[in-house]
Amino acid sequence: MATQSQVLFEKDSVFIHVNVNSHHSDKDAHIPGKVFIIQKPEGTFIEWKAEEILQVDGQNEQEWAVIGSSLSVGYKPDTGSGSDVPTKEEARRKYNISFDILDLKSFKRNAPNHGWAYVIFILKDGTTYPALHFHSGGSKAMLQFLGKTLHIQRSPKDNRLFIVQEHDPDMLSKSFDELNLFADSQGDLVTKFIKDPYTTSLAGFSKVTNFLKDVLLQPDAQIPRQREEVADILSEDIPGMEISNQDEPGYELITKTKLPSRPSVSRGTPLTGEQWSKHMDSDGKIKDIDKLKDVIFRGGVDPALRIDVWKFLLGYYNWQSTYKTRTDERKRRVDDYFRMKLQWKTITAEQEKRFAMLRERKCLIEKDVTRTDRTHKFFGGECNPNLQVLNDILMTYCMYNFDLGYVQGMSDLLSPVLVVMENEVDAFWCFAGLMERVCNNFEMDQGGMKHQLAQIHKLMQHTDPELCSYLESHDSGNFYFCFRWILILFKREFSFPDVQRLWEVLWTDRPCQNFHLIICLAILDTEKSTLIENKFGFTEILKHINDMTGAIHLEETLKKAESIFLQLKESKKLPNHLKEILGFEVSPDNSASSSNKTTPSSTPVFPEVVQSASPVKTTPASTPVFPPIVPKLELSARLSSIQTNGHSNPSSGSGTAVSTPNNDSSIEILSDTCDTAVNNFYN
Amino acid sequence: MASRKKVLLKVIILGDSGVGKTSLMNQYVNKKFSNQYKATIGADFLTKEVMVDDRLVTMQIWDTAGQERFQSLGVAFYRGADCCVLVFDVTVPNTFKQLDRNKIDLENRAVTAKRAQGWCQSKGDIPYFETSAKEAINVEQAFQTVAKNALAQETEVELYNEFPDQIKITNDSGKPKEGCGC
Repeated sequence: MATQSQVLFEKDSVFIHVNVNSHHSDKDAHIPGKVFIIQKPEGTFIEWKAEEILQVDGQNEQEWAVIGSSLSVGYKPDTGSGSDVPTKEEARRKYNISFDILDLKSFKRNAPNHGWAYVIFILKDGTTYPALHFHSGGSKAMLQFLGKTLHIQRSPKDNRLFIVQEHDPDMLSKSFDELNLFADSQGDLVTKFIKDPYTTSLAGFSKVTNFLKDVLLQPDAQIPRQREEVADILSEDIPGMEISNQDEPGYELITKTKLPSRPSVSRGTPLTGEQWSKHMDSDGKIKDIDKLKDVIFRGGVDPALRIDVWKFLLGYYNWQSTYKTRTDERKRRVDDYFRMKLQWKTITAEQEKRFAMLRERKCLIEKDVTRTDRTHKFFGGECNPNLQVLNDILMTYCMYNFDLGYVQGMSDLLSPVLVVMENEVDAFWCFAGLMERVCNNFEMDQGGMKHQLAQIHKLMQHTDPELCSYLESHDSGNFYFCFRWILILFKREFSFPDVQRLWEVLWTDRPCQNFHLIICLAILDTEKSTLIENKFGFTEILKHINDMTGAIHLEETLKKAESIFLQLKESKKLPNHLKEILGFEVSPDNSASSSNKTTPSSTPVFPEVVQSASPVKTTPASTPVFPPIVPKLELSARLSSIQTNGHSNPSSGSGTAVSTPNNDSSIEILSDTCDTAVNNFYN
Repeated sequence: MASRKKVLLKVIILGDSGVGKTSLMNQYVNKKFSNQYKATIGADFLTKEVMVDDRLVTMQIWDTAGQERFQSLGVAFYRGADCCVLVFDVTVPNTFKQLDRNKIDLENRAVTAKRAQGWCQSKGDIPYFETSAKEAINVEQAFQTVAKNALAQETEVELYNEFPDQIKITNDSGKPKEGCGC
């Protein structure tokens, strides 16, 4: 037989879009390549290869989008390609795909009316490859070619999803209809229903509403279910199902708890400079905080404004502050920062020898700093001075919050903040404010993480009992596959600009403080049919979720999440424990937990840590109370004799990249009439 | 043809933060080294099919976060493991205290092979490999031994399945090393 490879199918102009949310103008976002079906001695393979780049142009500076404002940054630009920096070609090649078609579990084909069709291949172990976009057609031809070798069946629930059927010699010959990949029909439910004797007989015994059919009539319905399995389903308390005896004597009426339909929502445009200045009065005080937050929730913030607006969102500046108080505040923050930085900077080698805890933290921070966002231009290249800044902020945070120390994941949280602030002190305090929001994620016993994963579970029991019971019965009821999402707030799932957008939306605490949990529900809702119809278990679910990096549509997800939130809000019989998660007023009539009326579950468990930069942490989102932020600076006052001059950076040898505080880019404040055109959805 | 029955071996890689667990896994499965791996958060795995004594074996290799704090959640991922690979960095003695070893390509070695081997012997003759994930030294051999020993034990699994095998691997910082124990 063939000892050489034989190309059975090939198609060029097949692109991988590095990030689904990128703009078409970003030329690096679409990697051109070719797709092949190749017969090799060891089997039949599907491959995608990036086109070789014939000439490398000299426009290195164009390679990564510069994020943030127009202020220039003082770090050295990369000169040529150091060994640390992968060439463009290497970067592209890492997307190459090759797999044996016997490993293929399913694929999704999306062929929009306008635009390109794309295909996503998913392997049996859950590996999910980036979508292949067929810019000049050919996806259909390719999949029809595959249909000749594999037995493929279209999902009855999601007409974009095609499942590869396991080869089974005992399988009855399949009707040709099932191979009809591109027909519009979504599969003949009745035929499948009849083929499944257990489901059919159950349906005959009692009146079963759509819900039970949903549960039983999964795409595997053609394989007769095991008796025990059916018994399990019946004996279990199926979440979301209510059984009542009253309507018709002799029958049990089984109904699904109806949630109201999900309202459609729209997103807005980012806060502009003009809107921002209109929101301040002549003293620089923000006039209508609620309205401003509504705008930010709906559309985010113009990237150039982040350097100012984030300082409010992250509690660096009080929302009630004025020009004058901000100037004073900033001075204090600068002094306080350098006082704390000096504390670890002045520890001698002799002292360090006897200070294991500090040594360990230092070592851990060093290890993580060198592997944080090195593909981003701001941190790229060898000896990039911004890495030192990252390091110093994290070390200083250890002194600021010694009880918590440094935990992996923190460098991921700091990096987008530093990129925006471009200043060590500002980045530190904004990071400290961000940590106030998420410090529970980093507790020693992981209690905060477990708590949030359990909250996702509780919410899903109500919003989607079907998916929830699927996950439970596949060892995934612990929702550990959401761990990375929660720990660092989706930092690894989105590109830099998207994560910055997502975070500023979350920091408005709209529509509730736990909106990030609902975002998890929204993403899982989108992936539901893929997870269920591929019959993924614990490992495959984890793999599929991990592989979704860069493939989640941010704006669509935000819309869906808000929509789910509103659906829950309209829901009549929402249990109290869910009301608490969502920050709704808890009805006083039942449940022991209802005593906790005004304390949403995300209230920090670290009361001793709540010092300065706490943004509206202890009030429900619906009650906009903005306690003044009074940092505890007594200590700094007492220690003022040892503090360094805030205008010099004690760490710096040569070339500290990020500006030191003397480059005070104070906010320009233009007072004008109040901005009224705000979509005030929640008031 | 070899035996038709496919065997799945679950292998977990443990070791201190930054010793090179992700690098080792990627070198073994994808034959690639990158110095741009990020710190692992949560857990991930890669699969690789290998032939061991005429049997087709699917290795499912699990990589987890190194920091101690995350170990309590790691337990969920370790369940059902057939073998564990303990990795430490030969240049950082502390990572040996914590466990396994990698990065032999580095010159600033701080844990001697003798010391590590002695440890492995004392733990019931755990196989020990010194590897470099960067230079792909000994990586294949280490994991081959993992597969072989785990497979050999498969027959005894009914008796001892509570305790997965151990394989020690060492890695060099920037260049990894493995010790391997079964």
